[in-house]
Amino acid sequence: MNARALLFGASALALMASGVYVTGKIGDWSSLVASNGFLAAQAQTAPQANAKPKVDETALRYFARQGDQKRLDAEIARLRALYPDWIPPENPLALPQQSDQSLDAMWKLYSEGKLAEVRKAVADRQASDPTWQPPADLLDRLAVAEAREQIINASTIKQYDTVVRVASTNPSLLTCGDIDVLWRVAEAFAQSDRKDRAKDAYSYILRNCTNPEERLATVQKAMPLLPRSDLNTLLALERKAPDGTGEFAILRDDLARQSVAAADADSELVIPQSDVETVTRLAREDKLASDALALGWYYVRRDDPQQAEEWFRAAQASEDSATASQGLALALIDQNRPSEAEAVLYKWRDTNDDTKAVYMAAVSNLLAVVPPVPIRPEVLSRMVPEIVKSKDAAAAQQLGWYADGFNQFETASQWFATALSWKPDDEPSAYGLTLMRWKLDNQLGVAEMQQQWARESQRIARVGQPEPQRPEGQRGTVPMPAYGPDQIVAATPGQTTQPAYAQPAYTQPARAQVVNTQPALREIVRQARPAGEPAPVVQAQPRAQEATSAPRVAASQAPVQRVAKSQAPAQRQAGCSTTIDPSVLSAQSALNRGWCLMELNRPLEAADSFQVALRSLTGQAREDAAYGQSLAYLRLGLSDKAAVAAAKAPQQKARSVELNTALLTAQATGAFEQGRWTETIMALDQRAQIAPERMDLMVLRGYAFLKLRRFNDAERIFRAAAGTGNRDAQRGLAAVKDAREGGVN
Amino acid sequence: MRKTLLACMFAGLVSMSLGWVTHSEAQASISSADWAAYKDKFLDGSGRIVDDANGNISHSEGQGYGMLLAFLANNRGDFDRIWSFTRTELMLRDDGLAVWKWNPDTNPHITDPNNASDGDLLIAYALGRAGSNWNRPDLYESATAIAKGISKTSLFQNQSRTLLMPGLAGFSTEDRPDGPVVNPSYWVFEAIPVMATLDPKANWSGLTSSGLKLLEAAQIGPRKLPPDWLSLSSAPKPANGFPPEFSYNAVRIPLYLMRAGNIDRKLLETFRTGMSGPDGSVELVDLPSGTPVHTLTDPGYRIIPAMISCVLDKTQLADDLKTFQPTSYYPSTLQLLALSFAQRSHPECL
Repeated sequence: MNARALLFGASALALMASGVYVTGKIGDWSSLVASNGFLAAQAQTAPQANAKPKVDETALRYFARQGDQKRLDAEIARLRALYPDWIPPENPLALPQQSDQSLDAMWKLYSEGKLAEVRKAVADRQASDPTWQPPADLLDRLAVAEAREQIINASTIKQYDTVVRVASTNPSLLTCGDIDVLWRVAEAFAQSDRKDRAKDAYSYILRNCTNPEERLATVQKAMPLLPRSDLNTLLALERKAPDGTGEFAILRDDLARQSVAAADADSELVIPQSDVETVTRLAREDKLASDALALGWYYVRRDDPQQAEEWFRAAQASEDSATASQGLALALIDQNRPSEAEAVLYKWRDTNDDTKAVYMAAVSNLLAVVPPVPIRPEVLSRMVPEIVKSKDAAAAQQLGWYADGFNQFETASQWFATALSWKPDDEPSAYGLTLMRWKLDNQLGVAEMQQQWARESQRIARVGQPEPQRPEGQRGTVPMPAYGPDQIVAATPGQTTQPAYAQPAYTQPARAQVVNTQPALREIVRQARPAGEPAPVVQAQPRAQEATSAPRVAASQAPVQRVAKSQAPAQRQAGCSTTIDPSVLSAQSALNRGWCLMELNRPLEAADSFQVALRSLTGQAREDAAYGQSLAYLRLGLSDKAAVAAAKAPQQKARSVELNTALLTAQATGAFEQGRWTETIMALDQRAQIAPERMDLMVLRGYAFLKLRRFNDAERIFRAAAGTGNRDAQRGLAAVKDAREGGVN
Repeated sequence: MRKTLLACMFAGLVSMSLGWVTHSEAQASISSADWAAYKDKFLDGSGRIVDDANGNISHSEGQGYGMLLAFLANNRGDFDRIWSFTRTELMLRDDGLAVWKWNPDTNPHITDPNNASDGDLLIAYALGRAGSNWNRPDLYESATAIAKGISKTSLFQNQSRTLLMPGLAGFSTEDRPDGPVVNPSYWVFEAIPVMATLDPKANWSGLTSSGLKLLEAAQIGPRKLPPDWLSLSSAPKPANGFPPEFSYNAVRIPLYLMRAGNIDRKLLETFRTGMSGPDGSVELVDLPSGTPVHTLTDPGYRIIPAMISCVLDKTQLADDLKTFQPTSYYPSTLQLLALSFAQRSHPECL
C-alpha cells in the first residue's frame, strides 16, 4: 500500500487501485471491474446522461476500408458493448471515405501493433499542429494496448504487484476476449498472497466467459494456485451438457490425483477419502503406473505397507521403474521382508540418491534380521561391493554382527574396523570390534580399544569383566562373554524400534536403465574390494583350523543369539531383572517375561517362564511360548530339549522350518563332535530336505564321509564346495588325497 | 575552503534548478540534424536505444539518455516513442523502477529483474523536464512516481551520508563483504535537484553533497582518479571483483559535474590531468599503478577534457569535436550531451 500510494499518491487511479488492495471483501474485484463497464458480457448499461453519446467510428471506418473483417467485427462488438443503443452501419464498407491520411497511417500502425510508432506519430502531429486533437478512441486503445504489453512482460518476470497495478488502472483490458490477461491477473493475485482476489478473478471468468476450452483451462490454471476449498467454489460453477455430463468431470479426477499427490509428499496431510477412492478407481480402470504409484506412496506414508506393496506391484506391472521398485522396497522393509526388498531394488540401486539410500536400508535390515537367516552367497557377494562402494558404516557394522552371528569373529572384527574407518565415532562398531577381539582372545587389542573408548562407552569398558548373572548350564563351543544380546540389539539400529532406513523424499526419478554388465560374482567381490578391506562373510568359511582336523561349526548357537522383533510379542519392555517365580504369573506375563529374559541372555530362566506360558489357552500364545522355549534351549546348547519344546505346540510353517533347521544343524554338529558320523549325515540329509545346505555344513558332511572312509563321496562333496573357492573344502580334498594314499584317517 | 566551495556549488545547483522551473526550453540545444544522425544510428523503430557496441542490447540508462536527448532536441515524437518502449518493456518492477537490461536475443527479453539506479534517475529526469516544459501531466506523474521509487528503495544512509545503491540486488553490506559498493558515475548531478522538486520529502541535497565528497575522497593512485566501482566498507577503495580502474563508467563524471553547473576548478583539473593522454586522447587507467589500460580517441570521449579546458580556461573546442559524426552509442551520447551543454551554457566554446 505504501509503495503504491507513494508512487501514485495524487492520482485518482491510485485510489481505485488501493481500494482493490486494501478492502478484503469478496466481490470487490468484479465490482471494480464492473463499475468501469468494460465487459461485454456484463455491459452494465452505464448510467449515461440523457444525451446520446457520440460514438467514435474512426476505427470502424479504417478497418472497413482495409477490408480487415476480423478487426471490423471486433470493433462492432466492442462499440455495441460500450453503447447498447448504438446501431452499427448496415454496410461499413460503404462508409464515406475518410480524408485524414495521417490519422489513417496512425490506425494502420496501431493495427500492426507498432504502438511506439503511433505515439510518435501522434506527438509529431500535435507538435506541428497544436490545434489537432487525436481521437479519444485512438488514445484509449493505445493506452490499453500498452498496458497489455506491460502486464504480459511484468507477469513473465513475476512482478505481480505491477500486473495488478496496471490491470486495475486499465480495467477495459479485462475481457473474455483476452483471456490470457485475465489469467495473468488472477495468477498475480494468487502469487502475491491475495488468494481471495484470485478466486474472485477465476470465478469471474467462469461466470462470464463461454469458450469451453478456456473455461477448462481456467480451472486447470487455478489448480496449483488455490486451496481445495476455493477450487470447490470454482467447480460449483460448472456447466452441464444436455446429457448431464459436467464440463469439469475430467478435472475432478485430476484434482483427486493432485490431492493424493500432495498427501504423498506430506504424511501429516489429511485428504478426503473420496479422493483416495477416486484415484483407486482410476488406477483400476486406466491402469496407469502413475496412479498406482501415487497410491503406493500414499499408503507407505500412512503406515499401511500391505496396501502400499499391492499398489507398487501394480505400478511395476504397468511400467517397471526405479520409483516403483524403490516404493516396493520400502513397503517390504516395513513388513520386515528386507530380503525381498534387496532383490527388488538391486537392479535400480544406482539410479539416484534415493534408490541408493533405500537399497542400503534393505541391506542393513537384511543383515540385521534376527535370528540371522543365512543369506544366499550370490546375494551376499553382490551386497558387499555396494556396502564398500557407498562406505555405509551402518551396513558394515551389520555385516560385523552378521559374521559374529556365524562365529566368524575374525571377519566380524574386520567389518567393525571398516565401519569405524568410515565413521570413526561409531560407538556400536567400536563395541563390536572390542567384543570380537575379546572373543579372539586378543587382550592387547581389547585394552587398546578400552583405553580409547572407555570414557565414551561403559559397555566397551566392561567387555571381558566377569558377568555376575551368568546363567548356569551354559555350555558350547562359543564362549559366552559378559554381554547380553540386548546390548547387541541396542547396538544394532533398527531392531527393536524402526527398521534402519531413511524414508527418502518422494521424487519421480527419471526412468533409468541399469546396464547389466556384471562379471562373475567372485570377480565382483574381488574387484569391488579395495586392498585391506575385509573379506565378505561367507558361511562356508569356518574359522582357521588345522588342515587335518575337523572344522568346528558352531552353527547351533548362531541363529539364536539375538531375539527378533518380529517374533517377539509386544510389551516386552516390562522389566524382568528381578527374580520371581514365574509360576505366579499369568500366561501372558510369563510369555513377556520369557522374551525379556532372552534379551538379557538369561535363557535358563527364560525357558522356565516359557514353560509357564505354555499353560495359555490361546493357540498363538502357546505357539509363541513353545517357540521361545526351544530358542532358549538352543541357546543353552540343549538341542534335544529344544526339539521337545518345539513340539509342545504346533508352529507356523515358517517358524517350524526355522526351528527344525536350527535343531537339525545343532544335531548334526553335536553328532559330529561326538564322533557319530552316520548320525551326522542323517541329520544333514533331513536338514537338506527343508533348507539349502550351507557351505560349512557341506564341509562337515565331507569330513563325515571321510571319517566313514567313503572317499568318493567325500571327494565329490569337497570338490563341489572347493569350486566356490572354499579353503576348508580344498583342505578337505587334500585330506582325502592323504587318506587314500596313506590311510591316515 | 572546501566548506565555502561546497556552499557555492550548492547555491549554483539551486539557482540552476530554479532556472529549470521558470524558463521554458522551447529552443532545442541539440540540432535537428545531429539528433537525426543519432537516432538513425541508435534508435530502433520500436522506441529502443540500441547499444551497438554491446551486443545490440538496450538498457534503462540508454532509454534515459535517449529520452533526455530527444527532449534536448525538442523532438516530442521521438521522446514519446522511446518512452512508450521504456514503459511497456522496462517499467515492470513491483517497486516502480525499471529493469536494467533488455536483450533482443533472449525470450523473454528480460532475464534479470534487477534495476540500475542511474537508468532510473535518467528516465525520471527526462520525464520531469519534458513533463514540465511541454506541459504534459502524464509525463510529470510518471517522473514523480519513479523519483519516489528511487528515494524509497535506492537512497540509503551509510556513516551519516546519503548514498545511491547502484542496483537493489548485489551491492549492499548484506550482499557482499566489501559492501556497500557504489558507482560514483551513477550520481547524475544535474538530475538530483529535479528529483528534489518531484519528491521534496527525500534528502536529495544530501545525495549531491555525499557524491561530491566521494569524488574528493576517492582520488586513488598516482593519477588521483576514482574507480568505476567503489567499496565503502572502510576507506574508499576499488571494489572486489571489478578491475581497479578508472574506466568507461567513471569517464563521464566530469561531464556530469559541468552539466550540473559545477565549476570546482581543483576537482575538474584533477580529472583533466588524470584522464588526459597524448594529443587530447582520454586514458582509461589502472589505478594502483597509474598506467593506461586503453587510450580512447573517439570524439565523444575527447570532448570531456576539452570541455573542462573550455569551462575553466575558455579554450575553444577543436573542430572535429564540434561536429557530430555518430560512432557508437556510448561516446556519441556523451558527445551530444557535451555539445548541448556548450550550446546552452558556453557558446564561446563553439
